[in-house]
Amino acid sequence: MSYQAKGLQAWFFQRVTGLFMACYTLYVLWLVLSTEVVSYQIWLAWFSHPLMNAATGLFFIQLAVHAWVGMRDIVLDYMTNDTLRFLTLTFISFFLIMSSLETIRTLFLLSVNV
Amino acid sequence: MYLLNKQLKKRPKNLNLRSVKFPMSAIMSVGHRAAGLLLFLSLPYFIYLFQLSMANETEFMQIKAELQSPVIKLFFLIIIWAFAHHFFAGIRYFLLDVDIGIDKKWAQKTAALVMISGFIIFFIVSIFLFL
Repeated sequence: MSYQAKGLQAWFFQRVTGLFMACYTLYVLWLVLSTEVVSYQIWLAWFSHPLMNAATGLFFIQLAVHAWVGMRDIVLDYMTNDTLRFLTLTFISFFLIMSSLETIRTLFLLSVNV
Repeated sequence: MYLLNKQLKKRPKNLNLRSVKFPMSAIMSVGHRAAGLLLFLSLPYFIYLFQLSMANETEFMQIKAELQSPVIKLFFLIIIWAFAHHFFAGIRYFLLDVDIGIDKKWAQKTAALVMISGFIIFFIVSIFLFL
C-alpha cells in the first residue's frame, strides 16, 4: 500500500475491527444478561466452545489493532518530543502484542483442557 | 519529512482554548477520544481479570466477590460509560461514512444523541449497581 493510502488503511482497520468488536460485545452482553447466575462452569463452557473461543481470540487481536490505531493518533497529536514519541509508541505496540498473545494462549489452553 | 517537522515546530503556538467554540460534536469527539484512552489504560486490569477468571473456581469466586466492593463498582460504572460512549460515537461515525446525518444541523443533533445515550446507560447501570 502506498504512503498516501496509509491513512485510508488505518481508517479501514478501525471500522472493520470496531464493527466486529461491537457485535461481539453485544453477544457477550446478551449471554450475561440472559443467564441467571454465571457460575465458573458456565463461564468456562462459554469460552471453550470452539466458535466462541476463536471469536474471543479474534476479538483480542482486533482490540490490539483498534487500540494501536487510536493510541497512535493520540500520541502523534499530543507528543511533540521525537524521542518520547518513539519510546511511547514502541511501548504501546509491545504491550498490545504481548497482551493479545497472552490472552490467546489462555484461550488455547482452555480449548485443549476442557 | 524531518525538515518539515522542524519547520512546523518553529511556528508559534497561541491556542487560547477560551477563544475556540466547542459545539456538541466537538465535546462528543473529545469524549470519544478520552473514553478510548481510558479503555486502553484499563486494558491490563481486564486482561488480568480474564486470565484469573479462567484459572480455577476459587479465583473465579474471589473475583465475583471483589466485584461487590463499591470502589470496583464505581470503576466499572465509569468504564461502562466510556465503552457506551465510544460505542455510540463509533456508530455515529459509521453513519457519517455512508453520508447519514452529514449536514451541519443533523451532525449536532446526532452528537447530542450520542452524549445522551451514554448518560442513559450510565444512569441505568448505576441504578443496577448501587440500588
